[in-house]
Amino acid sequence: MAMLEVAELSAGYLGEDVVHDVSFAVAEGEAVAVIGSNGAGKTTVFRAVCGLQRPSRGSVRLDGRPITRRRAHDIARRGLAYVPAERHLFPDMTVAENLDLGAFPRRPGPERRALVLGLFPRLAERHRQRAGTLSGGEQQMLAVGRALMSEPRLLLLDEPTTGLAPTVAAAAYAALTALREQGLTIVVAEQQVPLAFGFADRGYVLESGRIQLDGRVAELEDNPDVQRAYLGVA
Amino acid sequence: MIRQAATVGREGTPAVRAYAPVLLAVALVALLPLRYGDSRSMMGVVIGGVLFACYTIGFNVIFGSTGQLFLCTGALAGLGGYASAILSERHGLPMVLAMLLASLVAAAAGGLLSWIAVSRSLGVIFTGIVTLTFALAFQNLLLGQRDLTGGETGLVVDAGSETLLGEEVAPFYVFVALLAAYLALFRALQRSHFGWAFRALRDDEIAAELAGVDVKRYRVFAGTLGSGMIGLAGALYAHSEGFISPSTFSFGEVDVLVIVMLAFGGIGSLLGPVVGAAAFTVLEEWMDSFNEYRLIIYGSVILVLFLALPRGVVPTVQRLVGRLRRRRARGRRPAPAAQPPVDTLAPR
Amino acid sequence: MRAVVFDGVVLGLQFGLLGVGLTLVYGLAGVLNLAQGQLAVLGAIVAALRIDAGTAVIPAVLAGVAVAGTVGLVLDLTLMRPVYRRRGEDRVLLGLLLMLGVAFIIDGVLVWRYPIEALTLRIGGDPVDILGVRMRTGSLLASAIALGVGAVLVLFLRYATTGKAVRSVIQDEEGAQLCGVSPATVRAFVFALSGALAALVAVTRSMTSPVTVNAGIDFTILALIVAVVGGLGSVSGAFLAGILLGIVNTVSAHYIGTYVTTIILLGAAAVTIVLRPSGLLGAGRE
Repeated sequence: MAMLEVAELSAGYLGEDVVHDVSFAVAEGEAVAVIGSNGAGKTTVFRAVCGLQRPSRGSVRLDGRPITRRRAHDIARRGLAYVPAERHLFPDMTVAENLDLGAFPRRPGPERRALVLGLFPRLAERHRQRAGTLSGGEQQMLAVGRALMSEPRLLLLDEPTTGLAPTVAAAAYAALTALREQGLTIVVAEQQVPLAFGFADRGYVLESGRIQLDGRVAELEDNPDVQRAYLGVA
Repeated sequence: MIRQAATVGREGTPAVRAYAPVLLAVALVALLPLRYGDSRSMMGVVIGGVLFACYTIGFNVIFGSTGQLFLCTGALAGLGGYASAILSERHGLPMVLAMLLASLVAAAAGGLLSWIAVSRSLGVIFTGIVTLTFALAFQNLLLGQRDLTGGETGLVVDAGSETLLGEEVAPFYVFVALLAAYLALFRALQRSHFGWAFRALRDDEIAAELAGVDVKRYRVFAGTLGSGMIGLAGALYAHSEGFISPSTFSFGEVDVLVIVMLAFGGIGSLLGPVVGAAAFTVLEEWMDSFNEYRLIIYGSVILVLFLALPRGVVPTVQRLVGRLRRRRARGRRPAPAAQPPVDTLAPR
Repeated sequence: MRAVVFDGVVLGLQFGLLGVGLTLVYGLAGVLNLAQGQLAVLGAIVAALRIDAGTAVIPAVLAGVAVAGTVGLVLDLTLMRPVYRRRGEDRVLLGLLLMLGVAFIIDGVLVWRYPIEALTLRIGGDPVDILGVRMRTGSLLASAIALGVGAVLVLFLRYATTGKAVRSVIQDEEGAQLCGVSPATVRAFVFALSGALAALVAVTRSMTSPVTVNAGIDFTILALIVAVVGGLGSVSGAFLAGILLGIVNTVSAHYIGTYVTTIILLGAAAVTIVLRPSGLLGAGRE
């Protein structure tokens, strides 16, 4: 049984669907990439999965149990953590407070804190700094770190490298790889396809609100359409 | 897209059909003295109803057309009333001139409030708070400046008592004339480019700006015009009633009623204010015997109204009638013919 | 002059507490609780009724505070549901109007059933000398309570996990949801809290002057002014604004007059909105 099963999901805004009949599954321990250009619908899919938006049709199952119309905070407490593209940090709270809230309603244990700060040493340096004053890269790290504080089993990331310098983006993916090795299941939506392909096992190509292709990353990389559209190969 | 939506409907209707509701409403109202003409107190109530319909139309221009929540209708009416009274009593200006000047004063105040709200991009709440502070400050000004305004004891307004405003039934017709003028003005606005701009900016402010609508200018215009209308009505009332006091124009006496009347009748609709004013004038009269429950009834009406009938009576009725008409038309027509092929290259 | 300022501080601390409830609810839900004053008066009247019936003062006061808090909770769980389903200006407008209706109903019920009821708490004891000014024990107790409760509230919001959860919803509702915080639960909690705080202020006010059944609208307007000047959504802003406005109030009332004082206070709110909408310490929710 897959950890996350999305079946015929349709969702959108103001009565109009933006994504149609999206189906995919993620097994425990997998690293999956969802690629697509701007406006393809990746964010809408993620928001519908994690409860920030109600899908108009379709279903979402976590560990076999339906979570389709549950509230976002409910889903978050069930082990699904989402790092949105806009990050949604608490600007007037410190890095430490942001991280601690990630574990709500529990208080995070010292080992968890150490793990997250170990992954992102810069956050440890800026422990008492207000989140609103961090740089873009640091905010991204904080967003991911906060999501990890609740010890999730499934992590969804929406375009985690937007606005990050290449070295920082590479470091982010290095951190994700490390997490993956510790057993975390990760689904990442990306526009920067080479990075995503370097990290994931399988991928889905989402365009115009529909899944156009899917398969193992090696197969997708060999696909001439994918090469032309996303890998910059003429 | 916006242009298309706006030209369909209103501008296409011939003037006679467009103004028919105005004439009908005015005609119905003008018949009231037949029933109540012999009772002075009842005529007072009827005049009050027409007065509030005028207030509500002014408020409709400001709030219904451009979404500015002005919580100072009473103060604007009071500005008109007191300005006209003071100008005619203290400075001997002829009544009509005083009323017009007073109306300008109210228009200026409203325009200023609109301008402030617009240039600081104040949202609904802040516009409401700023106008509310204006209203409360004005009320305190009236009470505090006893030399000018007579304070709590009020002001006797003699100017105008020799004209037809001093008679029993005649003032009613003056008010009806004002009501007719206001309704016609509102209808004219709806059919003009003002109405088109108002609808556009209510629908989607950003899209309207992009389509070339100077949202700020239209908001200030609506604020000025509506305030002038409210002020003029207040001035007229001052002269016909012969006496005004701060409580005549307080928030509790005016604003609450106007908001409820408009909400009930239909925010933004032409006849909504008339329907609302009629309904609540009747309710007020009926409640006279239940004075202790007045606030409770009003509070409940507000709750039920905004929860159940958010659009108001007139638009709801219009929609029902529209639905009935379509159902009847469908019943008469045979099965629809095959649709002509859609031009797939045309943009959506 | 010093006496006037001290009186202003006493008044201001209570103003602050009154504004805090309003500002919290607005920061959390975008709803302007126009029935705040009526909730305050409701609590005071309940306490007065219990005292009339023979209950001791402290349980009576607690009962009043509890009733006001409960009514706040019920309002959130019932009337506010359709309000929360809307967004942006739609929500603001509907919330404002529904709370206005509630204010009328509570006011109407209280004035109808208990038209002459009022809460007066006489605190015994001789006046105490503070820095050369003789302060009545009633004023001192009111200040102490307002200060104490205010401090507890600020500490709670700063350091307690639930308190931080409340702040998180104010700062970023979606972010809070992703952390597992239920905005609906937080809103219900804060609505109840603001009702209780309002009632508490009515109680402390009654220690210096009687709180009558018609005081509701005055309380609401005060809460509104304080919340706006302090910055909608900012708790510390509400306290700061409260103290400043309290001093302005007493100084102006003493040297100028009551009508002008009201205009000055209202003007402060208007000026704040026009010049600096985020208020003194606002979190900038607008």
